[in-house]
Amino acid sequence: MNNTMSDKNILQKDHLVPLLRRLNKDYRMVLPVRNSSGDTLFAEVETLDGCRIDLDSQTLASAKHYLFPQLETLFKYRISADGGYSFEPVCEAEPTIFFGLRSCDLAAILYMDVIFLQKTKDPYYLQKRQNAILISLGCTEPFANCFCNATRSGPFLEYGFDLQFTDLGDRYFVETGRVSGGEIVRRYSHYFTPASEKDSKDQYQASLEARGRFKRQVHVDQATKRLQAEDVPESIWTELSLRCQDCGGCAYICPTCTCFTIRDQPCSAQEGERLRAWDACTFAGFTRMAGGHNPVQHRTQAIRKRFLHKLLHDVEKHGRSSCVGCGRCVDMCFGGVDIVRCVAMINELQ
Amino acid sequence: MAGLATTFGSGAMTNSINEIENSQVILVSGSNTTDTHPQVARRILAAVDRGAKLIVIDPRRTRMAEYAHIHLAIRPGTDIPLLNAMMRIILDENLVDDVFIEMRTENFHALRDMLYRMDLQETVSITGVPLEDISRAARRYARAQKAVICYCLGVTQHICGTDNVQNYSNLAMLTGHVEQEDTGVDPLRGHSNVQGACDMGALPAVFPGYQPAADPEARAKFSRAWKTELPEKPGLTLLDMTHGGPGGAVRGMVIVGENPMLSDPTLGKVKKTLEGLDFLAVSDLYLTETAVMADVVFPAASFAEKTGTITNSERRVQLVRQAIAPVGSCLPDYRIIMELSGRLGFAMEYDSPAEIMEEIALLTPIYGGIYHDRLEAGWGLQWPCTDRSHPGTPFLHKYSFTRGRGHFSPTRHLPPSETPDEEYPMILITGRFYHHFHTGTMTRKSPTLIREGGGAIVQVHAADAEVLRVRNGDQVTITSRRGTITVQVEISDQVSQGNLFTTFHFAEAPVNELTVDARDPRAQCPEYKISAVRIEKAGP
Repeated sequence: MNNTMSDKNILQKDHLVPLLRRLNKDYRMVLPVRNSSGDTLFAEVETLDGCRIDLDSQTLASAKHYLFPQLETLFKYRISADGGYSFEPVCEAEPTIFFGLRSCDLAAILYMDVIFLQKTKDPYYLQKRQNAILISLGCTEPFANCFCNATRSGPFLEYGFDLQFTDLGDRYFVETGRVSGGEIVRRYSHYFTPASEKDSKDQYQASLEARGRFKRQVHVDQATKRLQAEDVPESIWTELSLRCQDCGGCAYICPTCTCFTIRDQPCSAQEGERLRAWDACTFAGFTRMAGGHNPVQHRTQAIRKRFLHKLLHDVEKHGRSSCVGCGRCVDMCFGGVDIVRCVAMINELQ
Repeated sequence: MAGLATTFGSGAMTNSINEIENSQVILVSGSNTTDTHPQVARRILAAVDRGAKLIVIDPRRTRMAEYAHIHLAIRPGTDIPLLNAMMRIILDENLVDDVFIEMRTENFHALRDMLYRMDLQETVSITGVPLEDISRAARRYARAQKAVICYCLGVTQHICGTDNVQNYSNLAMLTGHVEQEDTGVDPLRGHSNVQGACDMGALPAVFPGYQPAADPEARAKFSRAWKTELPEKPGLTLLDMTHGGPGGAVRGMVIVGENPMLSDPTLGKVKKTLEGLDFLAVSDLYLTETAVMADVVFPAASFAEKTGTITNSERRVQLVRQAIAPVGSCLPDYRIIMELSGRLGFAMEYDSPAEIMEEIALLTPIYGGIYHDRLEAGWGLQWPCTDRSHPGTPFLHKYSFTRGRGHFSPTRHLPPSETPDEEYPMILITGRFYHHFHTGTMTRKSPTLIREGGGAIVQVHAADAEVLRVRNGDQVTITSRRGTITVQVEISDQVSQGNLFTTFHFAEAPVNELTVDARDPRAQCPEYKISAVRIEKAGP
């Protein structure tokens, strides 16, 4: 049979669920599922029976927490009778297929790779990342708050995915990116047929049309240029900080926010564990020193730091903004202290 | 509660929370909305984004006040003269809604006559607010087509709390700003389900749905349903019980989900009262300051471990579904009550919260159409909802007030029960910080929240701090006629000179050792907001 599958294939829509069912036998599966409250979230599924796979909505949260959990045990400790400590590292991951990742969420994982793997390799992240197969679904219909076209992290990606799906109405166009994606297509080749010239053209057309369907125009680059050129007035940060309700939701929901704190949790007098938990730069405790002094004096400065990090510092450090344009902070923030408002305020300056 | 019930006939938000977003002028009073009601604050901010004007009345420069177009920084406890002045200006400039007053209200002349006799300059000296600002606020509010008033405990926790509330209703009726969509008077409720607790008759003189215990018909109805004789005499208010003293009339108490050993004023009295009881049972999630004094403690299930309903500020009854099985031996509240009542010889037999809801619907007209199966479907129902086909009521008093005509109740300034003097020269205001909820029984279990706000602090104005020679982080003692606590200083521009602000979250600095036990004679709400105190730098 064809052991030399092309890197562009077609999967008929009828065969999607059978393929996922097959993959589920060999891998742990994480995909967008609509739950009983009507919310769509990434979920690990045991079986596809009775599970409502939802490929038409944006998941409320990205897949960040599968690679970088909100609360993660790093190791367990035990105090022996003679007072000595023994440690037991906790670091495990099983091969996992992430299906239905949107381009922004996948771009966010690529950003996390830079943070966790570029210099000192974080073993906890690395373990999960090496076991992850990322199958993305390009966005032919961007959602209400999306602006990934402005951050160059969508609606389709050029690289980074193992497989990228494009919905062509009756069929999916499946592009192979990295090696493990190719392995999936080879191993389950009976589900796929090689894409024709027309399929490729249809995919190109679909990706072009998607670019025209964004409902928001967010000029991220323009704001970055402005920030590079001058100090924007304090009034912007003051106004944003007056609206901030200090919930930390923006950092928790942001697929590229990777700050964490470490704490020890005793489970009994003899045992306990060291945990790492998501943190948020807008919290006062994020920068407060042990003696009570806080180098970031005011909420205003914390807000400023947060947006400069996304729009300026990451551009200087990594060559691109760490906002991936998913728009989730727009829905999350009670006070409207989101990056879309911030970008608009910067660009509206005289 | 009592205030709005007198003027409008119903003591709840007249609007839905969503409607605030469409208002043109929002008058926020005595509410640190950003910190204490984030879901309301977001609507206020959204309204401002759409061009609405924001007026804040508050002695503190809260973040909402900083965001406001007009901030009236009154001296604590001077709402009444401020509002009287606003109404006088509205009257003088003929911005009243004559038709509304004529068609929908009564007793306007009493208000008008009182306003004509007042002296505006005197108001300025009482409130400390320039007349020009008062005029601007009055005109803004009166000229709007749609205006809402949101108030919170800064209005009610005074000895004149009921009068305060009535004066806000006077202002709204004078300008016709009630009984429409996006327009009204909205008390913001604090504790989750405090609205529901009031609705269910957790008040001294009413049965569920505010049916008076004094009404023989209502009494007969509930007696028939519960197969027991019900007393005609109203029960006791909170402070009558917890301040009753060691030889008080109440000999035994069952306290459910409340921590009076931290939350009630003048804690010394509370302690003596509870110690003097023959029997005390407490039902709570954790072993609170009150629970440790109990003879019996019932472990209660948390919100995640039980099914039931919560009624929020906008009268919306919402279903809360059990997510996990109760941990350990804890039980949902209704099971605890049933077990207890069974042992006391009164069998209460309900199989589920849904069955209890059916009884509520049967006996409580405003909840008459609210059943669990209906609540399953959407985002809950807003009472009054009288039968199964009733869609619920987003805003109250459409076409007519619950009591018929809206009643103008003229009110006069009543000085706080304690005013600063030489010995106790400062005013202490108590309230809440963002990161903790009430007495901290739940929030002080979270490491992140502890990191954000770990201990008690007092906000001090920079000029006062200079006189005291204290810096940020220094320890100070605050002393009132009733007690002393030690807290850390935070120099803040949120309080004005002469005022201090602190919270009641922290058992190690129980601010209610200091607060006065004076209360509003009608609502019986304690004057938590004003105590005269002295502040000193603590020890070496």
